[in-house]
Order: sequence, then C-alpha cells, then structure tokens
Amino acid sequence: MKDKFSTVSQLELSRRGFLKTTAAIAGAAAISQTFGSFASAQSSNVVRGYGVTTSQLKDWSIMEKSIGVSMQFNGTNNSVGVFLRDVVASSLGDQTDIFVFESGTEDILGPQGIYLKIDEKHPELKLWDRTPDEWKRSETVVGKDGVQYGVPVIGNADSFGYYPDKIGAAADGNEELSWSLMFDDEKTKGKVAYDQTWSYSIGVAALYLMGQKKLEVNDPADMTGPEAAKVVDFLIERKKAGQFRTLHSAFEEQIQLLSSGSVDVINCWEPAVREANKTLGSDKTRYAYTKEGYFKWGHGAYIASQAEGRNNLDNIYKVLNYYLGGEYRALQARDRGYAGPNMDLGVEYATENGWSKEDIENLSKTEQKVARKFTKPYTSTTTPTNADAIEEEWQRFLNA
Amino acid sequence: MTIAQNPRPVTTTQSIVGSLLTSENLVRIFFLFWISLVIVPLLVLFAYSFFETKSFVTIYKPTLTTWLSLFDSGRLAVTIRTLRIALTVTIIAFVVGFPFALWLAKGTSNKTTKAIILALLTIPFFLDLSSRIIIWRSVLSNTGLINYIFLNLGLTDQPIDWLLYNEWSVHFGMLVTYFPTMVLPIYMAITIIDDSLIAASSDLGASPVQTLFRVIIPLSLPGILTGFILTLGPAIAAWIEPSMLGGGFVNLLSNSVESAYTALKYPVVAALSSFVMLLLAVLVVVLGLVTRRFGGFGSIFAVLRS
Repeated sequence: MKDKFSTVSQLELSRRGFLKTTAAIAGAAAISQTFGSFASAQSSNVVRGYGVTTSQLKDWSIMEKSIGVSMQFNGTNNSVGVFLRDVVASSLGDQTDIFVFESGTEDILGPQGIYLKIDEKHPELKLWDRTPDEWKRSETVVGKDGVQYGVPVIGNADSFGYYPDKIGAAADGNEELSWSLMFDDEKTKGKVAYDQTWSYSIGVAALYLMGQKKLEVNDPADMTGPEAAKVVDFLIERKKAGQFRTLHSAFEEQIQLLSSGSVDVINCWEPAVREANKTLGSDKTRYAYTKEGYFKWGHGAYIASQAEGRNNLDNIYKVLNYYLGGEYRALQARDRGYAGPNMDLGVEYATENGWSKEDIENLSKTEQKVARKFTKPYTSTTTPTNADAIEEEWQRFLNA
Repeated sequence: MTIAQNPRPVTTTQSIVGSLLTSENLVRIFFLFWISLVIVPLLVLFAYSFFETKSFVTIYKPTLTTWLSLFDSGRLAVTIRTLRIALTVTIIAFVVGFPFALWLAKGTSNKTTKAIILALLTIPFFLDLSSRIIIWRSVLSNTGLINYIFLNLGLTDQPIDWLLYNEWSVHFGMLVTYFPTMVLPIYMAITIIDDSLIAASSDLGASPVQTLFRVIIPLSLPGILTGFILTLGPAIAAWIEPSMLGGGFVNLLSNSVESAYTALKYPVVAALSSFVMLLLAVLVVVLGLVTRRFGGFGSIFAVLRS
C-alpha cells in the first residue's frame, strides 16, 4: 500500500537541491558580476529563497497559481556552519530575498542587521494576527533580543524510530517510551544507531539523564561546558559498554539502517521512519512518543536586509503569509508529516479541495501529534552560546 | 605591412621574449605563483590557528587556547590515529602492490592480460567513491552477504559483527580504494627498466633476490616514492571510508574537521591542518634520510633523465 505520508524521496530532493544550489550560486555570481546594480535593483514577481530543502513545496508552481508570486528556491544542507558561511561571507542577501533555516541563526544574524525586522502590520501579512503565539512568538523566530526576525514555517518534535515487536512495545506506537531504549537498556544493547552530530544528539542524552535525576542541566539546548562534560562522560561509558552499533551521520543512512533491520532503535528524522515503512510495510517501525521529551525544532523564514532596497517587499510578505496559510500547511503535513501554525486552515483547504477523508484525518492527527509532543521539553537551537565548548566535549565521545 | 618587409621589430620581440623565457626566469615565475598560491595561504592558515572561536564568532586576538584545546579534546589523538591508519594502509598497499606491479610489468608477456588488468585498475577512477564504498556495507553488515552465506552454511550461528564499523573495515575500504594509486606509478617505473639490465645482472651471477634489491628496486624508486605520496596524501584526508565503514567509531581527521566546522571553529581547523603539515614535513625528512643511502631525492629521480 502506498504510504499517504510518504516524502517520495527526501534524498532526491536534497540531491536536486544541491545541484540547483551549485548551479545557482555559480550563475548568481556570474550575473551579479556582469549586471551588478541592475540585478539588485530590479523588481518582479519572483521571490528568491535559500535554505533547508525540507521547507520546500515539491512543486512551487502551486504557490504561483494561488498568490501570483513564483519562487526560486536554492536548498542548503542542515549544517549551520555552511549556512552562516554562505549568508555572511558570501553576502547571499545580495541575490536572495528569504532565508529559511532552523532556529538559532536569528540570534546571531538578527542583531548584526543581516535579517530584516518583521513588519507585523504589513498589509500582505494577513494571517499574522490569527497565528497563535506558541508559533509566532517561539524562540525560532524571535531573537534573544526580543525582536521579531522571522515567520514560523514548519516544525516537529524529533525522537527515535524503533521496531515495536523487537523491543516489546505496543504495536500502535501510542505508548510513551523512555530514552533508556536508546542509551541504557540491556535489550537494545548493540542494536542502537546514534546520530554523531553533536547538535542533534547531545540534548536528548541530557534529557534522559535529567529524567533519571542523574544530572541537573539548566538548558539542554545550551549546556555549559561542565554540564556537557557530564553528559559526555555518561555517553562514553555507554559507548564502551557496546550500547551503540553505529554512529550515523546522514539521512540516507537513517533510512538504510532502519529498513535493513541493522538496528532496532535509531534517533532520526520522522520521514526516515516513513521511508523505512514504505519498504517494510506500513507501521512496521514507529516514531516514538517519549517520557522525557524531544528535540523540538522549527524552521523560520527571515528576510534578507538587502531585500529592502529591491522594491520586492510586497511579494516577499505574500510568501511569508503563504507559509502561514492552509495550502502550504496541508501539503507539508501530507508530504512530510511536518506541522506548523494554523493547521485548522490546512484542514479547511483540504476539505475545499476534495481531499480524501483519510488524508484530512491525517492532517488533524499530525496536529494532535505535534501538540502532544510539544508539551514536553526541549526547544533546540542551532547556535547555542556554548557551541564551542559542547563541540569540544563531543569530540571526547567520538574519540573514546 | 607584412613581416617580410620589416623583419627587424619581429626579431627584437622574439629576442625579448626569448631572453625573458630563460629557464632561470621560468623558475622565478614558477616560484612567484607557487608562493602566492600555496605558501601564502598556508601561512594565513597557520596564523589563524592562534585565534579562537566563541559563539560562532572568531576572536582576532592572539591566543594559544586553540592549540591547547587540541590536546584536551582528543583531537591530537585523532591526528595520530589518522596518520597511523594512513601509514598502515600505504605500507600494506606497497607490500601487496609492489610484487603485483613487478609481475604486471615484467612477469607477464601477454599484452591482452596486461591491458585488461590496467583497465581494471583504472576503472575505479571513473566511479564515484561513495557509491563504491557503500556497497561494502551490504556485504559486510550483520544482515549482509557474507553473514548471510555463513549463517546459511551453518559456519556460524551468530552474525559476525566485527566485519563492519571498526578500524578493520576502514583499513579494508581504504586499501581497496588506494591500491591502484600505489600500483600504477610503480608499474610505470618498472616498465621503463631496460630488460637487458636485468639480464646483465643475472649474467654477472646475481641471484634473483640480489637483482631485485640491487637493480629493480633502486631503479623503480621514483615510482615507489610517487606511489607512497599519491597514496599517503589522500589516505590522510580520507573521509568516505571512515564515515561509511567506520560507523562513527573510527574518528579521523576529516570527520574532526567537519565537526569543528559545524561550530564555525576555523582556528581549530587551521590548527589541525597546520599540525598535519608539520607531521608530514617530519615524514618527508625521515623519507629523505632513508633514501639517502640511495643517494638522496635528487639522484633517485636522475634515473628518469637517462
């Protein structure tokens, strides 16, 4: 049976995105050198975006039909280092109107004046007032300085994928499981894959230890060096005990490890579980509800400050407003399982457009799932202030 | 106006160009380019290692913090491990590759065999490395081909799990990758050794072992050195094999650099790179000392002039 939630191929998307990025950056560089001021002064109904590939619609022409603005989107990977380098060092804002990235960059680029402050009263940002505060005032889009730098796009609460039958959990996947399955359980020992990216993995280990009352951490998203050291000591001990079969690093690996049955538990993106189930049969693997909490993330859309002089702000705000609307919401939830603000508008859109009853129900389920998961800690950031210390500690884990 | 009518200016231009392009000037031009394209960036890199990064921002104040942190975080261990693995792979590739190259160059007279083997050795260069390496995961994993066969033949009742995600599998993957870069230069060097020299050696009463050590190896040293450099360099920078076959348990330099990069720690990257350069320089000096008994670097390559 075809999985209604399938992402088709996130892998394919990111590959395509990469090619597009490469081509576009080369092209953009050539154009900006040749035409210089002409390119930056023109206005049109094209909005140029740059950011995470998963925030994209599979087909941007749908948006063009709805709001009359077309999107030229170049994808980046999820590394904040790469993103910051592109935006700052290559002054990508000269060619780009909108940046879409995981929370955290606004704390650094906002105060530097690289992101424009959001004009909440802009006439094209029609849905702003009805957007709930839990999305529009979240740490993803409001800087540490309290300034509104972005508009929420999508979000999810990440946990781990698992085989219910192999670990003896309920098959319906509704049970709240402990992260001990990942770190500290005899029955999963040697059958666990753990992401080797510090920013993705260290926080959930801290959550687990906090749940066990073995550690007190002020903020799992931004641990101090000594706090991170304690988490890493625990992880080194578990690594030496043989808890982890492998430490993975890419989305393709997540799918391969899970669908081949090489591991029983893996901390991964939700679409990886969907991809695995496409080969294994529906609901063979599940994406966990957890006792201790989640790696909660959100993508925000931010306006490049250079866009202010390009006479294109109306179109840019139309796109920002589109991110808050029903069409984008419904398509993102159906295609990737990601939630976002104003899901009720998504349901409305699906009903009006004759989606099947099952599809519409799944939209509500996505919202319920995210609402349930979002009650627990913790909201991640890609730019913790202690990043340098945490990364240094994480090296000890990788080297142990 | 034609050239024939006024030949003098042409001659002058020619002589100017000619005098500018003396070999001495060519060497100067080469050095100018080399210094600006290679040496200056290296110096900048080295200077960078004396800064530090805090919250994604590089602080341009000279400090030793970055260098000291290399020791605390185990990044020094990563460097040593990387060199150890790269050297091991290079030496194994040489031990296996030299006899193979010798056989290919002098042992087989069948031209078709030679052509087929050379083509087979070249094919990997046309395929993407990650696609070649990821195949091994489905061969070596717990649910992979080897375990499938072993389990079904009853040779073992539990999957053998040391085949993948450890140093062994990384060595194996790198050896497969770098075998051709070791074999091809050595093969080239041995091919150009005149057969009559080898015949003369045995006519004069040398045993095959003596001929090998007194004639073939000294004459093929340029190829051996090239093979070592072409293999060791990429092996130190290896990224695909440790990531795909090491399962995160074999943390090598490239992975460490990548991780530092996610926190925009350019100084750490700079310090790591500088440190590797230093170690490589030491290696080259050692190599120079070893080859001195054959007359040093210069005279080794003098073979090629004849």
